[in-house]
Amino acid sequence: MNKPLRIALTKGRLEKDTVALLERLGYDCTAVHEKGRRLILPIPDGNMEVVLAKAADVITYVEHGVCDMGVVGKDTLMEMNGKLFELVNLGFGKCKFALATKKDYPFYDGFGVKTIATKYPNVTRAFFENKGMDVDIVKIEGSVELAPLLGLADGIVDIVETGTTLKENGLEVVEDVAQISARLIVNTVSLKLRQQEIEALVQKVEEQIND
Amino acid sequence: MRRFDLITPEGTRDYLFEECALKRIVENRTRAIFKSMGYSRLITPGLEFYDVFNRNSRYFPQEELCKLTDNKGRLVVVRPDSTMPIARVVATRLKDASLPLRLYYTQPVYNFAPSLKGRSVEINQTGIELIGSSSRMADVEVISAALSVLSTVGQEVPGFAVSATLELGDVRIFRELMHRLNATPAQKEEIRSLIEAKNYPALNDLLDTLGDNSITAALRKLPTLFGGEEVFARAAEVFNDSRIQEILDSMQTLFGTVSAIAGDVKIMVDLGLVNKTDYYTGLVIKGYMEGYGEEVISGGRYDMLLSEFGYDVPAVGMAVNVDAVANVIGKKYSPEPEPADVLVAAQAGCEAAAVAQAEQLRAKGLCVEFALDAEDAVDFAKAHQIARVLLVGAEGVKEVRTDE
Repeated sequence: MNKPLRIALTKGRLEKDTVALLERLGYDCTAVHEKGRRLILPIPDGNMEVVLAKAADVITYVEHGVCDMGVVGKDTLMEMNGKLFELVNLGFGKCKFALATKKDYPFYDGFGVKTIATKYPNVTRAFFENKGMDVDIVKIEGSVELAPLLGLADGIVDIVETGTTLKENGLEVVEDVAQISARLIVNTVSLKLRQQEIEALVQKVEEQIND
Repeated sequence: MRRFDLITPEGTRDYLFEECALKRIVENRTRAIFKSMGYSRLITPGLEFYDVFNRNSRYFPQEELCKLTDNKGRLVVVRPDSTMPIARVVATRLKDASLPLRLYYTQPVYNFAPSLKGRSVEINQTGIELIGSSSRMADVEVISAALSVLSTVGQEVPGFAVSATLELGDVRIFRELMHRLNATPAQKEEIRSLIEAKNYPALNDLLDTLGDNSITAALRKLPTLFGGEEVFARAAEVFNDSRIQEILDSMQTLFGTVSAIAGDVKIMVDLGLVNKTDYYTGLVIKGYMEGYGEEVISGGRYDMLLSEFGYDVPAVGMAVNVDAVANVIGKKYSPEPEPADVLVAAQAGCEAAAVAQAEQLRAKGLCVEFALDAEDAVDFAKAHQIARVLLVGAEGVKEVRTDE
């Protein structure tokens, strides 16, 4: 038998959604449910192994080929820009990147250079580069919503799910940047060397999510 | 002030002992293959003018180039690729040389990679360029060199076996489709990058906006057309076009030829190989080894590149990532440092005789070290597994064996 196919999952909600998907496909994910503190878990009947990691690390592991496949949000993919195959839009983990400002703030007015606070500097840079707009980007680690409220930034680029946090802090979406959902990614060499196994799994996944 | 005098810049490293030995295994083997195929080595400078790399047919992102200025303030880069400089040499100094030209190189290339991603800035490459022929045999020659590298690179290593794959593609299919597609250059570039990333969902969404016709239908399928020989039959159903069918037929013939010489190397085809940074105009090849997450060989045909330097000749070539292959071999083999054959110790005043003695043995092909402390020579030899010790004294040479 071949080495097990190694799949890196983004810890947290995407992990749960992916495990649910694998179970709907008939795989035995008991080990993942009873993981304790272990980070590499077998799915014996599928000749697969699940690796649990943070989103950015899922991309790193798949890009280097130490994991064959991974499940990760489009948000992290856009920020990291790795060299890998992005085969399936899994449909879950839906949200969007949006540009938000204080309510009724005239963001596009005037000739001054605007300051944007974000956890996603690359996404932000690409978005404004496409508009031909120079902006100052400030990287914020925690609640980005604070930056415009405290007067550090004119706006923020961040993930928006329901918009409740924005509303409660007197912010509003000015423009959508990109739609986000979970993606199934595959290492460029693994797809070639383990084509049959991976294509079979991908096909099952696609059938399941299209149902 | 902070000094950086004890470390190397990120993405570079010192190669010592084992790592060096592994690299040598790869370099020696590839060099032997290239030489036996009639290739001559060339060395291009480490520094080149930026203009050499600022061309239409290949795009080098500015942020990845190591740039500096020369003493006249002109922009110079540390070589990011060896094929462009070779095109420059061929189009200038070798313009009157008889064709074909067979050239090989073994030298590092430098590209600044994103920080902290475990990527090297300095990558040791060895490769060949076959210049002056657009014949099928030229393609086969370069592919056969790649196959030799994949199948024999570890032959000196006891018990080394790793499964390798060689993949063929042809960018002309994509170019033909793009030529006929009614879309803006920005859309075309987006389509290319989505095909390269095999991003099926986003590709489909984009093509939905461009209408439903045979071209968009073919583009949807293009990235999925990879695998073994069955791909050609699948492709024939997708592309209903005589020009593309011609390319497919020639690829299939090549696939047959290559399969016949492939030995243990698996041959695959991927019609969705469309890399932005490539100067390729037809055949594209990639080589993979089990246990390495990126290609270890890449190459192809670049018939337009030399004409950009003012010499219109076709060419085909390929490069081996020496570090990647050494890494694959190193996972299964760790070269032992080899002890010297003989230790020569000189009594005080007999140093000249000791050197003469050592030179004699070295001329016979032995590895001979000097004992820097003659008193301690035998113990030193035992500790370092040196089998023979020669004690050179005023009254002659005495041999002590440490392996008995």
